[in-house]
Amino acid sequence: MSEPITAAPSTVVNPALGPDEAELLSRAEQAVSSALRLGARGARASARSGREVELRLRDGEIEKLQDAGSRGLSIELYVDGRYSSHSTADLRPDAVEAFLRDAVALTRALAPDPHRRLPSAAERGAVPTTALDLVDEEVAAGFDKDAAEALLRRSDAVLRGHAQAISATSTWSQSTGTWATVTSDGLAVTERSTSAWLGAEVTLKDAGDARPEEWDWRGGRQRSALPAPELLAESALRMAVARLGAKKGPSQRTRLIVSPRAAGNLIGHLLRPASAAAVQQGKSFLAGKVGQPLFSPQLSLVDDPLLPRGLASRRVDGEGIAAARLPIIEGGVLRAIYVDTYYGSKAGLKTTTGSPSNRVFALGNADLDHHVGQAKRAVLVTSWLGGNSDPTTGDFSLGLRGHLIEDGHLGGPIGEMNVTGNLLTLFASLSAVGNDPYPWSSTRSPTLVFEDVQLSGA
Amino acid sequence: MPLAPRHSPLADPARQGAALTTSRRALISGIASGVGLLSLPASLAGCAKPGGLAALELGSPFPELDHGLLSRLLSTLSARGATGADVYAQRARRNRLRLEDGIISSASTTIDQGVGLRALLGDKAGYAFTEDLSPAALEAAARTAAAIANSAPAQSAPQAFQVGAPDRHYRLALPWAEVGVDQKLPLIQRVEAIAKGLDPRVSRVSITWSDDDESVLLATLDGRVLIDRRPMTRLWVEVTATQNGRSFSNSSNVAGREGLAWYTEDRLQQVAREAVERTLVLFDARRPPAGELPVVLAAGASGILLHEAIGHGLEADFNRKKTSIYADMLGQSIAPELVTIVDSATEPHARGALNVDDEGNEGQRTVLVERGKLVSYIHDATSAKHYGVAPTGNGRRESFRHVPLPRMRCTFMEDGPHSVDEIISSVQRGIIAETFTNGQVQIGAGDFTFYIKNGWMIEGGKRAYPIKDVNIIGNGPEALRRVSMAANDGRLDSGGWTCGKDGQSVPVSQGLPTVRVDRLTVGGESV
Repeated sequence: MSEPITAAPSTVVNPALGPDEAELLSRAEQAVSSALRLGARGARASARSGREVELRLRDGEIEKLQDAGSRGLSIELYVDGRYSSHSTADLRPDAVEAFLRDAVALTRALAPDPHRRLPSAAERGAVPTTALDLVDEEVAAGFDKDAAEALLRRSDAVLRGHAQAISATSTWSQSTGTWATVTSDGLAVTERSTSAWLGAEVTLKDAGDARPEEWDWRGGRQRSALPAPELLAESALRMAVARLGAKKGPSQRTRLIVSPRAAGNLIGHLLRPASAAAVQQGKSFLAGKVGQPLFSPQLSLVDDPLLPRGLASRRVDGEGIAAARLPIIEGGVLRAIYVDTYYGSKAGLKTTTGSPSNRVFALGNADLDHHVGQAKRAVLVTSWLGGNSDPTTGDFSLGLRGHLIEDGHLGGPIGEMNVTGNLLTLFASLSAVGNDPYPWSSTRSPTLVFEDVQLSGA
Repeated sequence: MPLAPRHSPLADPARQGAALTTSRRALISGIASGVGLLSLPASLAGCAKPGGLAALELGSPFPELDHGLLSRLLSTLSARGATGADVYAQRARRNRLRLEDGIISSASTTIDQGVGLRALLGDKAGYAFTEDLSPAALEAAARTAAAIANSAPAQSAPQAFQVGAPDRHYRLALPWAEVGVDQKLPLIQRVEAIAKGLDPRVSRVSITWSDDDESVLLATLDGRVLIDRRPMTRLWVEVTATQNGRSFSNSSNVAGREGLAWYTEDRLQQVAREAVERTLVLFDARRPPAGELPVVLAAGASGILLHEAIGHGLEADFNRKKTSIYADMLGQSIAPELVTIVDSATEPHARGALNVDDEGNEGQRTVLVERGKLVSYIHDATSAKHYGVAPTGNGRRESFRHVPLPRMRCTFMEDGPHSVDEIISSVQRGIIAETFTNGQVQIGAGDFTFYIKNGWMIEGGKRAYPIKDVNIIGNGPEALRRVSMAANDGRLDSGGWTCGKDGQSVPVSQGLPTVRVDRLTVGGESV
């Protein structure tokens, strides 16, 4: 319907662009130009390239060294009021041309859809100039195997130092990625990022046949985010030792304290229906509830794509819409959901952004230990096992592992238990939020404390 | 990336995503069983013109990988002393179509291609991949992978290859590459019409169609080239129903290594009807009570029990590392005699079927538990060598971007002596589990879960009321010991299950007869 009439994309050659970015920009521009020549009325193309390296040390020996570069091209086509999306790893020019010709022909076979269109430049907004600090040039420069192996050996020594250790694995992982997105109406943007992570995993011998295992992975955009390997290994070991002798706890209704690392999963379930797609398709218990106080006043969280060094930071989203902080929940009131151009148009909702980035919480005053110490009777959840939720109703049921708490003291480890309820009820019962956000995930969840929650066990 | 749960979320893609695999056995015999046995003199194989002779004669999907180039790559991979090496090429075209709000207005096509190169030194692996199939890019990747080894003498690379294409379990008369979009659209529209016509409460129907045409070529340091063409299709129907202001959603899907002709009117009727029935029953469904209860697993998709409670725990990488709860149980009785569990690559056109695994070992039927006794782990080539047994053909990878691991294929349990009625009437107070969305397991602790979307409460040996949205949790070895009854109605589920492990997803199948497990923890709600 309101497809943009296209102009040849303006070639934005920023002198600051590195050779990768310039090449990817050129590749994306060529794809858009070809698509228009072949009959598309609008197009958005992204080209990417990257390198990922993983070095894994198990029980003192290098088990795996993987090092690979990758690349790809994806394109969305708007043809005669119709839409399709495509990607290819075969970047030979003649192959790309044939690929696009097929893609345009396929698009013509589909039904026209007036809601499919590129967001206008005004809807996209200006690309923010915020420095996201997503690149560590040292990581981008290459892989220093000896340095990485030295770190892994320090972690390995700690893990294998435990008398009950059966198997210890330490892993180095680094990546470098570059992408460029171009649209037929003038957007041309590139981004580079790097990451570096260290992981420690250990399995211990327990009584009987059980072999509890635990892991800890830490890292970020920069090498400076890496932990001391000894500290990482001690953390993984401490968690594994805490699992020794796990038993099934009793079925009960009780206070539930969820650790920062485990809380992110609950937030994921809560916000799964917070999208225009879910709402428009009748699969969201949050439909029509923006502006309503649905949850505890303790709960406030913002989607923040402009967080420096953030694991999900970006200057534009997948449609090229300028990144901006988006308050999702404020004082328990649902303020916004994720709205892309297509489903926003279908549902009559104003576009926000189509996909989540970093989720940042308003913090409380005390950490996990404090909340454990304050609890007379409660269950601490340290991790989940399986389970799911229904985005249409909010009903959920999740497997959990953790500890019983009595009179402020952490009791023995428990497992083989479920927590069951409804997400609206659960988050209405939120009584406290910690001051201890988990920094190793894009969902920076703190400790969450819920009241009167149903657990199933023995 | 590294923060995701590491082990085996199994999921129905209709909801999240996950899967299963198994089995193992010898294979060189399989090579001769395919299209042709062909070896070339080195001089011929080395000719560098595109489309080497052997490749062309076999109709290779990789004309750029002639035998000369494969030989040179294997030579580079083993130049620093690697004891094993392989080159894994993959080319795939994946098509998706989506119907929503009455129109099919979205399609996507993905073309993926690349080559993974692996050098092995005992249990150690060096790995690299490239999407650029030029000889220079492939050589560079081979040198990177070879760096896992150093200084040991170079191995000699094969100058000629035995070529096989054991095309047994899912050959299509009409490959997806030859099916136009105009042949698919009417089928999708038909499913929508069926679903909408079944009940006035059906307020929305959306349908996702997929068809994949994938080819792989594997060349090994011991001189084999294997080619496999792997079709896959899935039809997924989502339904929302509304009544008196309440809405419920559910779905059904069918999947397999099948072609267009598989989508008969009966099959379209079946998947639409299932999706609608599973949704409408939610209006009356409740949560069961919380705590430990007997659980009756309905035939078919309940094979998720096997996948999570034992399948992953038998994957031999976990056992050779001693990290599985089953690591010391080989040869022991671990379940009642009525329990025989199989992992098979040979189920015709099943989603988890494989002519040949991703290390060049022939797909086969592997008995894991025979009359209650644990008789085999699930092996890749590395673990088979470690245990001194023949490979079971379970070395699988998501794509050329990944190293192979021991993975399940089609995992199921053989029929037992009981009838379904006997089993249900034996339960005074318990549940029936019918449909599932996902599962997960901790390999070391043995705790596993699966999420029930639809089921029934049993009271006094009879179905009392429908139940929904319940997580089940148990311990693998304990749950197996508590399998007390099994019926004679076993079947492989045709749902599109996908298994995740170490960041790799592979398609799998699962099956079960109706089974009674005496006690599992049910995530219900006490009144």
